[in-house]
Parts: sequence; C-alpha cells; structure tokens
Amino acid sequence: MKNSHYLGIDVGSISANLVLIDAGAQVVFSDYRRVDGWPLRAAQSALAALRAACPQAILAGVGATGSARHLVAAALGADVVQNEISAHACAAIHVRPDVQTVIEIGGQDSKVTIVRDRVVVDFAMNLLCAAGTGSFLDAQAQRLNLTIEEFSRQAVRSARPTGIAGRCTVFAESDMIHKQQIGHRQEDIVMGLCLAMARNFLGNVCVGKEIRPPIVFQGGVSANQGMRRAFAELLNCELIVPEHHMVMGALGAALLAKRSAPAASRFRGFDVCERAIDTQAFACGDCANACEVIEIVDRGEIVGRSGGRCRKWEGRAGPR
Amino acid sequence: MKPGLAIQPWGNYSLALAASVECLRVEPWTQRSTTPETLRLGVEASPEFACLSFKACTGHFIQAAQAGIRYGVMVNSRGTCRLRYYREIQQKILKERGLDLFIFGLGYDGIKPPLIRHFDPDPIPFLQCCARAQQKTLAVDALERETWRVRAVERRPGDATRLLNECLADLDRARSVPEIRACVRTFKPRFAAVPIDETRVPLRIGLLGEATLLRDRYLNHNLEEILGGLGAEVRNFFLLGDEMRNIFRIGLFSRNSRWRLKRLARPYLENLVGGHALDSVAHAIRCAQEGFDGVVHVAPAGCMPEVSVRPILRRLSQDLDLPILECSFDEHASHVGVVTRLEAFASMLRERQEKKPRKRP
Repeated sequence: MKNSHYLGIDVGSISANLVLIDAGAQVVFSDYRRVDGWPLRAAQSALAALRAACPQAILAGVGATGSARHLVAAALGADVVQNEISAHACAAIHVRPDVQTVIEIGGQDSKVTIVRDRVVVDFAMNLLCAAGTGSFLDAQAQRLNLTIEEFSRQAVRSARPTGIAGRCTVFAESDMIHKQQIGHRQEDIVMGLCLAMARNFLGNVCVGKEIRPPIVFQGGVSANQGMRRAFAELLNCELIVPEHHMVMGALGAALLAKRSAPAASRFRGFDVCERAIDTQAFACGDCANACEVIEIVDRGEIVGRSGGRCRKWEGRAGPR
Repeated sequence: MKPGLAIQPWGNYSLALAASVECLRVEPWTQRSTTPETLRLGVEASPEFACLSFKACTGHFIQAAQAGIRYGVMVNSRGTCRLRYYREIQQKILKERGLDLFIFGLGYDGIKPPLIRHFDPDPIPFLQCCARAQQKTLAVDALERETWRVRAVERRPGDATRLLNECLADLDRARSVPEIRACVRTFKPRFAAVPIDETRVPLRIGLLGEATLLRDRYLNHNLEEILGGLGAEVRNFFLLGDEMRNIFRIGLFSRNSRWRLKRLARPYLENLVGGHALDSVAHAIRCAQEGFDGVVHVAPAGCMPEVSVRPILRRLSQDLDLPILECSFDEHASHVGVVTRLEAFASMLRERQEKKPRKRP
C-alpha cells in the first residue's frame, strides 16, 4: 500500500523513542524524549509529536520494545512486542549489514551483541551492576554542574585523562572527588571517568566475548563524545555511530513490525495520545505468589494486562 | 494430634518428600514453591552473602516455626558445597530469633539417621512409605517431562501448566503404591488430549545449574514457563528420580550415573568441585551431542561450585558451538531483566535455527 508506514516505539528507563519508517525502510520521523517517570505519557506525547509532523501517515504495523514494552503495547495496540536486545541488533544489522559487534549502552543497562553473517550469535547484558550506564554519567554530570552535552564536549578536549577507579560507581565518585581536590583539570577527570566506564563495560559485560570490528555503538550513551573516544582508544579501532544512534531500539522495533507484515494493524489510532489512559492493580489470588497484575484501562474498558510471574495475564484484555 | 515436621521445599518434589515422612507419624509441612513472604523472612534473617537457596530455606523454616511446627528436616550431605553447614547455621538463626524448631539433618551419623532414631517408626510401614515416596518422585519426573514437551507447542498458553497442577493434586491424594501407579497411567492420555500446534518446531533448551534454583519456580522466575511460552521445549537436568539413582548408586549403568557423568566431563573437568558443578559440565556436553539449540545455566549469585565452572562452560560453548546463557539470581534480580534475557536468547536461537538447523538425532 502506498503511504503505508511502520512505527517503532521504545520506552526504556530513561527515554521514550519513536521512529516512523516508510515501506522502503527509510526513517521518515524520529523522536527522542525523556520519560521522567511517566512511561505511558512519554509514549503518548511522542505519538502526538508524530501526528503533528506526519498527519497523512497510515500505520500498517506497530512494534514495541524497551522495558516498558508490554505496557505501551497494550495501551497503543502493537503488532510486535520484542525485547530490546533483539530490536537493537536488528537495527544495527539493517544499518551496517557487515557489523560484527554491537555495543549498546542505555539509561540503566548495557549490552554487547556479537553478530556473524547478519545473525546474532551471542549477547551479554549487565548483571547485578549498572555501573557505566547513562544514569551514572547523568548523575556525575549533574554533580559537576554540567549538562550532559557540556560533559561530552569537555571530555574530547582532555589531553591527559586522569585515572579513575571504575569498578564501583560510588567509589568512582569518591575517586573523582579526590582527584578534584588534588587539582586535576575538570576535562581530564571527565575523560578519565569515560575511560573507566568503558573499561568496566569491556571487563564485565564483554568478558569472554570476541569483539571484532566493525563495531556499531548505539543507545543514549553513544551520543557522548567522551564515551566514543574512550571505546575507540581502548578497542584500538574507530566505532561506527549510526545516524539514528539514539533511537536504534525504536528503529529495530519498526523494522520487526515491517518484517512481520501484519494483515491488519492492531494500532488503536492516534486518538490514544489524547486520552487519559489509566492503570489499576489487583492481586491475583490464584497461588501463593500473590502477584500484582496491572490492568490498563482506556475509557472504562480494560485493553490489556501486564505483570505477574506466570503468563496467565500477559496481554489479556476484557473482563477478569 | 500428630506433631508437624517441616520439610525443605523442593519444587514439585515437595509432595513426594512429604509422602516420605508420613510413616514417622508426623504431619508434613511444606510448600511447592517459595513465596514472596518466605523469601522476605529469609532475607531478613540470613547473612547477606549467603546464597538465595539458603535464604529461601531459612525463610521456610521460620514460617514453619511461626505456624507452630517443632521439627524440620533438610539435606546436609558431605562433599557438596556450603550446604553442609546450612543446617547448623539455620538452627542458630532460629535459636537467636527465639524460635523453637529443631532441624534434623539427613547426613551420615551412625547407622540410623537421627530423624529415624527420634521418631522410631516401625520397620514395615517405614519401608512402605519409602516405596511410596520413591514412586511419587518418579511420577513427578514423568509429569515434568510431559509438561516440557506439551508446553512448547500448546495452542492455548497455560494449558500444560494447568494440567500439571491438576495431575500433581491427584498424585498428592494417592495413598498407596497401586493408587500412585494408576494415577501415573492417566498422565499420558491426559497430556495427549491438550490441543497442540503440530506445525511449530520447538527449540530445545537444556536447563542446568544449581538444584534448588532449577526446581523452585519462584526463585528462578518461572524459567521453564517463560521458555515454554517462547516455544522452547526445555529439559531441566535436575530430576530428583535421576538424582536418587546417583545417590544410591543403583543404576551404575544409567545415563546419569556419577561414573558416566565423570567420564563425559573429563576433557574439561577432572575433579569434583562440589554441588552439581560436574553435572553441569557433563550435561552441557551431552546437550551439544544431542543437538540442543542452547543451554541456560542457572545459579544463585555467589554459588561457589556453579560459579567456578562458568569459565569452563564458556570454553565449552566455543568448542562445541553451543550457545549458553548464564543466569545469576539473587533476591534483587529484576523479573523484567530475566524475561528480557530469555526472550533475546530464544530469538537468537530461533535465528540460528533458521540459518543452520542443528542435527537432531
């Protein structure tokens, strides 16, 4: 169908991203905004921005990803719900078919995906520790009274990066304070921090993985010049930062929606961005786990559920 | 009134374990899986660095003591891991909290284990009980196997689990060996009646690692069900029936005998490192030989034996081209994180399967 578009939406811990692609898989519109604790509202406002920018777009498929994927999928009506690891890999392979390694660092998690011949063969995600992700860089920038953009610019200027302990972020912070107190330059400290974060990532998440170029670096943190420089120095090769590096998860979701080619999209219409979608919780009493299940309510009607340890409630609409 | 005896929870096998102590003229007290409340109590009372299994088990005994149970029993065999000290530590924790529950160990201690010495059952009912417990254990093994197979291809999500629960309830009611046998005979036709999608090709995923986590569906975040829902036929390598054969060394020639496992693992691991670490290595090799699509290795964070074989598993994964997903669990593990990893793992295996199908023997 002419004018048929595919929408990908990625709502994670820090940001909500949205990408609209056309039938030729070209990005028509993209949006990045902070969630600020309201995943559903962020998704709705991103959708409103899309409607304002491309009012004529007809959505033939919708893909949702990110840690809030189930909530968003139920509220907006998604055809494909995919985890963010697969979505990111899919987008990276689409952008660089010869990619061998994908490094993706987001707000609270960091992943490495190993790709060979356009197939994901291995992946790892940070476990039990979120050192070196976007949240930490955010917090440190704030402590230095810098915006994250200034932080990024400063890091590139550094000539002699300071050594910072990067194993634990709290100790990294103590070390940073100490280095400030003995008079290191701020840009060197900032770059030192980036190097410590990159080293931590390579030592923890990438342990035992074969990192081969070409390497694609994406996710929110890939916008940070300091982190780009740190990885390039440590890995001894130039990293590829794709054009849409901030919204690759959403791009992946859109591509997956396109690939699944639903006969009729389950998208509930652009009007959902105006309605107050509410959620309510109930405790499932069917076993001793007593899971809390979330019901997503739109105009008095339950449009989906999420939560719970078993799959009983997942995505189920209608009365209990 | 019969005194109560709290039994260490062990997934669906709890009902078999419960059957085993009925001859002691006690009322068994157990749970089929840890609950959030159990874990909360356990985490509060346990040292921070103890493993998740310890915390869950401690919480379980605290709950039992609060329910007025005076006796408990748990495995504390030699040569495993820190498990050998768990009974003593738990006893101490209970005492410090002013709870009056005595935990018997099942260790070697003279000819008669202290538990039997205390309750002193008549020999004939005792043996009958053992036979019942053994039959029930094997029945649970059979049920688990059926569930794994059906869950991956069921048309309506949740059918297999529902049927599993019904069958377990029936099995729990069975009082004698003939009754148990009759009950087991109904399993196959009942599972065959579940509507399945024949066109779906399930992934085959082996689950290995630490025993409590493999069996407790609360602690492992319902791993089996999540994978089943993603279209994977799992094989959980901890089956108590198989394990009992190991312990009593009856089936020297069975596929899971200690001797066989040792021989299988020898190229990678020559010594016992405690727990089920050697089994993990051997079973991973077996998974590669039998053409499994992947393996999920499950361990509580800080589990000494399982963590020590992780580098071996990584090497093995490269040598044998077998994808292995490492999952560590503690009380802070996020459910979403677990699900995300499993989904990504399954979709990766799916892609691999499409590009180059593994040979299935």
